[in-house]
Amino acid sequence: MVAIEDIRARARTLLESGEVRAVLGYQRGSAGTLAEPAFLTEPQQAASLVWDPTCIHNLALYLVNEKKRQRTQRSNDKRPLAVVAKGCDSRALVVLLQENHIDRSEVVILGVSCEGGGVIDPRKLTRALAGRAATTVAMDGADAIRVGTASGETTLPASELLADRCLECARAYPELYDTLYGDKAEGRSYSPRFAALNTVAEKPLDERRAYWNAHFERCIRCYACRAVCPMCYCDECVVDSTEFVVTPNTSADEKANRIRWIQRSPDASESAMYHLVRAMHLAGRCIDCAECERVCPVNIPVRLLNNVLEREALEAFEYVPGTDPGLPSLISSFRDGDPNDFVR
Amino acid sequence: MTRRTGVFVCHCGTNIAATVDVKKVAAELGQDEGVVFSNDYVYMCSDPGQQSVINAIKDHDLDSVVISCCSPTLHEKTFRDTSAAGGMNPFQCEIANIREQCAWVHKDKAKATPKAIKITRAAVKRVRRNESLTPIGVPVTRKVMVIGGGIAGIQSALDLANAGFEVVLVEKQATIGGHMIQLSETFPTLDCSQCILSPKMVEVSKNPRITLMTSSEVKSVSGFVGNFKVKVHSKAPFVDPEKCKLCDDCTPVCPVVVPNEYDLNLTGRRAIFIPYAQAIPASYTLDEEACLGLNPVVCGKCKEVCEAGAIDYDVKPKVTEYEIGAIVAATGFDLYDKGYLAEYGRGKYPDVLDGLQFERLCSASGPTGGQVLRPSDQKEPKNVVFIQCSGSRDPENHCAYCSKICCMYTAKHATLYQHKVHDGQAYVFYIDIRSGGKGYEEFVQRSMERDEVIYLRGRVSKVYPSKGKLKVMGVDTLSGKNVEIDADMVVLAQAMVPSKGTAEAAKTLKIGRDKDGFLAEAHPKLRPVESVTGGIFLAGAAQGPKDIPETVCQASAAVSKVIQLLSKPELEHSPTVAKVRDSHCTGCEMCVDACPFEAITLVNGKAHVNEVLCEGCGTCAGTCVRAAIDVKNVTQLQIHEMISACMGG
Amino acid sequence: MAEAVEVRKVAQESGEFEPKIVAFLCKWCSSAGSDLAGVSRLQYPSNAVPITVPCSGSVSPIYILSAFNKGADGVLVSGCHPGDCHYLKGNFFARRRIYLVQKLLQFIGVEPNRFRMSWVSAAEGTKYAQVIADFVKDLKPLGPHGKLGAKR
Repeated sequence: MVAIEDIRARARTLLESGEVRAVLGYQRGSAGTLAEPAFLTEPQQAASLVWDPTCIHNLALYLVNEKKRQRTQRSNDKRPLAVVAKGCDSRALVVLLQENHIDRSEVVILGVSCEGGGVIDPRKLTRALAGRAATTVAMDGADAIRVGTASGETTLPASELLADRCLECARAYPELYDTLYGDKAEGRSYSPRFAALNTVAEKPLDERRAYWNAHFERCIRCYACRAVCPMCYCDECVVDSTEFVVTPNTSADEKANRIRWIQRSPDASESAMYHLVRAMHLAGRCIDCAECERVCPVNIPVRLLNNVLEREALEAFEYVPGTDPGLPSLISSFRDGDPNDFVR
Repeated sequence: MTRRTGVFVCHCGTNIAATVDVKKVAAELGQDEGVVFSNDYVYMCSDPGQQSVINAIKDHDLDSVVISCCSPTLHEKTFRDTSAAGGMNPFQCEIANIREQCAWVHKDKAKATPKAIKITRAAVKRVRRNESLTPIGVPVTRKVMVIGGGIAGIQSALDLANAGFEVVLVEKQATIGGHMIQLSETFPTLDCSQCILSPKMVEVSKNPRITLMTSSEVKSVSGFVGNFKVKVHSKAPFVDPEKCKLCDDCTPVCPVVVPNEYDLNLTGRRAIFIPYAQAIPASYTLDEEACLGLNPVVCGKCKEVCEAGAIDYDVKPKVTEYEIGAIVAATGFDLYDKGYLAEYGRGKYPDVLDGLQFERLCSASGPTGGQVLRPSDQKEPKNVVFIQCSGSRDPENHCAYCSKICCMYTAKHATLYQHKVHDGQAYVFYIDIRSGGKGYEEFVQRSMERDEVIYLRGRVSKVYPSKGKLKVMGVDTLSGKNVEIDADMVVLAQAMVPSKGTAEAAKTLKIGRDKDGFLAEAHPKLRPVESVTGGIFLAGAAQGPKDIPETVCQASAAVSKVIQLLSKPELEHSPTVAKVRDSHCTGCEMCVDACPFEAITLVNGKAHVNEVLCEGCGTCAGTCVRAAIDVKNVTQLQIHEMISACMGG
Repeated sequence: MAEAVEVRKVAQESGEFEPKIVAFLCKWCSSAGSDLAGVSRLQYPSNAVPITVPCSGSVSPIYILSAFNKGADGVLVSGCHPGDCHYLKGNFFARRRIYLVQKLLQFIGVEPNRFRMSWVSAAEGTKYAQVIADFVKDLKPLGPHGKLGAKR
């Protein structure tokens, strides 16, 4: 069992000693049931930390954002940040370490095991409660979730409420941590890996095309998926023609000659191009936190585009993202025995 | 960005104009943004054609040109020089290949013309974004390494040393000389191989500019043309060549006898031995693998008897690092393995020999002192069958290629045999006789007519022992009859294959091999002694089967290329190298991992390209997910616009 | 554009769909191979417009996606055979990357025959001609691609 008191105590100690600049964790939400990210700088705030299946956010994102903020503000505080990290969050940290985006000394990882459980999918919860608002959500053993509402408490099967990625997750514990809360539960998954992917991948080609066309048609290019992704930390996105990075060294030519790989018009092909480029750029880097899919306002199953490459990385190249910060990246490495039959 | 681009469309006589409406291409491109001049001409590469480009550059104040003509492999240099002559930076000239990639492969003018327009337009889009560049100057180390101490390596080393260059000659074996020193006499003049080679070997040992590294192998090569760093591993020299007096006291006491590879295992040798009398360096060698144990407790007999005190068991192998400007790879050949060709009994019956073994039997320094005797019973064979193309020209089962020298050396073997055994008869089975070369055809004819060698056109199906003889079952396709010969000895003209370490050497040197495993030349016709890797040259049978005169020619040719390379104070390195956009680089190191040349390092958290090491392959650009690295003049922006041009936009 | 009109006219006259192909060829092997096809006067369909790049390893996935987005009916990437790369190992990186692009395209419903990778050496003029001929033959029954994510 994860004892939230232990996490709070650790956070308090870290803040009291001044070892860390801040603690990134979860606190009770101000709107609705879901926990929200907390950025704690005072020891007494540690008491507000929570841990339950509504701690959905990937806090690695906030580490990345904080780094960006610090850079623009030219802050000299070199102390690390402490981060509460679930399994997927910790794998995101591993990728960030692998890409030198963060240094190990910049982060204190308070690893939290999901202990075979996971976080809920808010859409599934809304559906299960038929629109009623939940007040509390807690794991009840490994297979059930206790949901409190204004009209009382009900217990629902975990498989009905957990996010798809959690149902499929086989490693629901932190890969890398300084302190670990809860037990490492091995090989505990509700559905087979890539189950959600397979429901689409197994459709015939024509249906797949229709399925994705419909989704790409609906994309409003709000770039929420990109904004929420801890791996999309570039200052300028190669697909974006709206925000250009301009430094003192940027030449007039460079300013004038931005490549417009994708037009801004909300055309299905342009949107498809955006999603495919994003998927390619996340190949071997996406750790399947599925935040992109959660934040999509028009319910595009963005996660599956990343999943398909994650599966190929695993099956064709035996590459699992977020396991070892010392390894070269999926696309900056190869093996002589990589698949060759597809080449003519 | 306003550019002033000129487009020049070549007719190439009718080569292009027959299938591409060149006037239409010029007219259409003339309408494109930034194209201020377009023209067509019958032969753009001719002097007037080039002059028209120069004039247009001046008259129309062009800052970039596209020549729409043949493949850039042919005239890119021509037109870049032309552009320079017109006062433009040569890198502002691009070639649109509308001949090989368009006119020559299509018939329908209505289809070929729009394609030619797209190709040309893509080049225009590209050149508009080209940077003016100057080649990067790289200092040169004026020292050459020659790998392989056979005739190719010896010739290369001597030529280079005589031209005034420092040479390091690396040989795997204990002595230089290669296969040539094993030969008896050489075709077509029948002069003694040792007699013509050993003076060159002595010259190598005496030349102060040549550092000889025997029992040594190249283990790693880093760096690039003009500036290689080569690590050479040398076996421990248990016998000091300086002290060894060649008294031969050590061999009789050595208790170990192993097959003698110099005599192709027809004789034996001790663990301490001298490969042959003329060996260079002139010294005995201790074979570490055969020796009982390099330990006075185990044996130590040779050390006991050595009065000169030349033997020391405690010497360690050493690694020497050299800075080298150019490398000549002359790693030589081996004969096709005896494990194959079971139907001829090779390796099974002692009297079935290969060509090199027969050379040893004919050699005055060989196991029989030059007498042809059967290995099984030391009797003089009266009927000897020579089988040509043994393993060659047999794409189904063995090597597809012709080993080139076997026709000649078989004729030589048969002649030598007839000279030595007057009452004997030599038979030669052949597919064709290939005797191109000065005096070669006459030599073969002489062997047939004067020396009465019987030539049978056909293949041998089987060789098997029968009543103390070797039964040779063959066919004479000229008479259409089956032939059976009771032979005393069979000699197989085994195919020539790359020497055993060739694959590994190619990997170390980062040079290619062809489909048969020989070292690959950069161009089969126009760059026959260069490898694809700058600064690494090829000589001898490592590049393909060849005889001694050809090998010597190639060695000297390779040397002339080396001298060309090293005669300049600085080398020019192509400036189309990778360039990092610091504003976009996040320091993720993916390009560092992907760079095949280790040209990228992280400096202050950003990728940094060593322009001298960078070959401009762009693997970094294809890998970078942040568009932070590009190859100059093939940038992502340029490709983006070229794609649009190809789509007709 | 005039030539686009012409292409359409040609297509209409023959009554056959002519797929538009962008072919990324590495300079040292595949482009040289296409040169050899030219020198050997081998005939193949004119649908593919080549873009010569230094190495197949320099072909970013975005090039391929962009070509489709700009209306290509098929995209080819061709490099040196494994082990023959002029730059030693650029094609190995390309192979892995292009494998992924291919799987992704197929997943969103792009017909497998629309995107192809081939190894064509400088000596394989015949193979280059064959690769293009096969590609065109396989693309014709598929009809126009109509960009990524567009309704057909």
